[in-house]
Amino acid sequence: MIAVRGWIIILGSLVVALVAPHFLPPGFSDWLTRLSTLILVAASWNMMANAGLISLGHSGFWGLGAYSAALLANAFHIPFWLSIVPAMLLGAFFGACLAYITGRLRGLFFAIATLATSEALRVVALMVPKLTGGAEGVFVFDQIRPDRITMTSFSLCLAVATVATSYFLSRSRYQYALRAMRDSESAVQMLGVNPARFRIGVTALSGAIASCAGVITAWFTGYIDPGSAFDLKITISAQIAPLFGGLYTVTGPVVGSIAILALSELTRLYFNYSGGVGLLVYGCILVFGVLMMPSGLVGLWKRRRKPVVTDAAVPARAK
Amino acid sequence: MASLIFQIVVDSLLLGGVYTLMAVGLSLAFGVTRIINFAHGDIVMYGAYAAFFAFVSLNIDPLLSLLFVAILGAIGGYLLFKLTLDRILDAPGINQVLLTFGLGLVLQNVAVILWTGDERSTTPSYAFDSWFLSDDIVVAKGRLIAFGLAVAFVVLLLAWLRWSELGRATRAVSQNRAAASLMGINVRAMYALSFGLSSSFGTATGAIMSFLLPITPFMGFPILVKAFAIIILGGLDSIVGTVIGAFLLATAETTIAYVVPQGIGWAEGVAFFLLVIVLIVRPTGILGTVGRDA
Repeated sequence: MIAVRGWIIILGSLVVALVAPHFLPPGFSDWLTRLSTLILVAASWNMMANAGLISLGHSGFWGLGAYSAALLANAFHIPFWLSIVPAMLLGAFFGACLAYITGRLRGLFFAIATLATSEALRVVALMVPKLTGGAEGVFVFDQIRPDRITMTSFSLCLAVATVATSYFLSRSRYQYALRAMRDSESAVQMLGVNPARFRIGVTALSGAIASCAGVITAWFTGYIDPGSAFDLKITISAQIAPLFGGLYTVTGPVVGSIAILALSELTRLYFNYSGGVGLLVYGCILVFGVLMMPSGLVGLWKRRRKPVVTDAAVPARAK
Repeated sequence: MASLIFQIVVDSLLLGGVYTLMAVGLSLAFGVTRIINFAHGDIVMYGAYAAFFAFVSLNIDPLLSLLFVAILGAIGGYLLFKLTLDRILDAPGINQVLLTFGLGLVLQNVAVILWTGDERSTTPSYAFDSWFLSDDIVVAKGRLIAFGLAVAFVVLLLAWLRWSELGRATRAVSQNRAAASLMGINVRAMYALSFGLSSSFGTATGAIMSFLLPITPFMGFPILVKAFAIIILGGLDSIVGTVIGAFLLATAETTIAYVVPQGIGWAEGVAFFLLVIVLIVRPTGILGTVGRDA
């Protein structure tokens, strides 16, 4: 029954994703596209976090996706929807390599390694101007860019597909292995699960999804440069959205994405400049989220409905 | 050619001093608490701003204000630890990463709001001075001072760790939390102390950076990443390892900046490449003992 309900929700949201952009004012399509890219990175980050892998390198995947799509589009004039394929493959390949070479690293060390690789990628993008245009960036040919409505529908569909993927992942038997890896990889290994396989698998999946977000942004804005494609802000929002919404849950990243996008729009409305206020709010969310509500908005909602705490996502903080 | 090599050696040594300053606080805090402080770069930034305002409004030399800035940093770091990290010490590592990352964001953007993104710097006379050892070998005086202070700081820190009562307790906690606790050491108090000390190193570093680098709210992140690379190179919990790591990174960067075409741009990336390579080849670093499971 649950599976049927899941399918209905997924198909319903796909229809909405295809139809809604036609009826909404243009301002919304920008907003919705940003929302879908945010959901993509947040959900993919959450998949890795679910297996105990803290990624601080999601801007690396994003940038890889953005650059591969833009460069391939300019070189071969491939259409938007097709450019997603090589970008995803590259993201997955990079993710798999990252997981493979950092195979011996846990927790903190993995986080730092991902941060370093994404920064290394930024330096490469900056320093190989023959390929990437260097600091001047790359413009995507205007003639082959699709119109806004198509873009918005497409990115919303991708977001729905991503959430569906994480939903099915959370219902599959792999979920148990991944969740157990979060607590102890060696214990998982002792139970006959090969953690390396899951680690590579989940990082590749996460990388592929996060690079999609980069592809969307490259096409939507029509321009990328190393600073914006490998922006640390991407990594920051990728971790804030799941944390705010609810770590390790399917709905958490979606709820969190909507919430932080709304918050950032509000701060932009009230503090009319792009100065530090937006990021300050993000920082406060991180700090208070970790200290006060480690299970996020979804956790609060669940606790409101059921007094019994179910599957405490993050063990309660020590006294 | 000989003078080029000599210049590279001189520059590497001087830069190594600067890098030692950046990393030693982070290394101390990690060695004791096993928490990587992602806000360390921003603490350095606050030290730099404190030194800047002391220089501009009170006309105090950064090398003099260093003392006060370090004391303020110690108090600030202690409070920061007590208010935030102390409450989630037993939570999974991901929470600590996210928390210190968030703290860094807050610190950085408060600075953006207060002081905008404009570049500032203190301008004591020695900041622009340099000595010519021969016709083509230059020693920048500001960096030489930073080098000297780095040596002094490290010697002081090592001496404190080795001979003082609190230093011994700090080392005990770093080596074995449970055993130290059984010996009657208040582990949490040592955590807070080492965190305060680490912040005090951070802000003191900032005061020195105030005449070496442009001061902006964004100066913290590059410093943080460099410091990561250094302490991972050297071994996370070893102060001596940190010094070695700092000089290794400095040598690699300087050599590439001089030898490779467009080397200055590439040198920015050296830290990341070295970091990834070390993490893969020897995750414990050159002198470190912390396994990869930390």
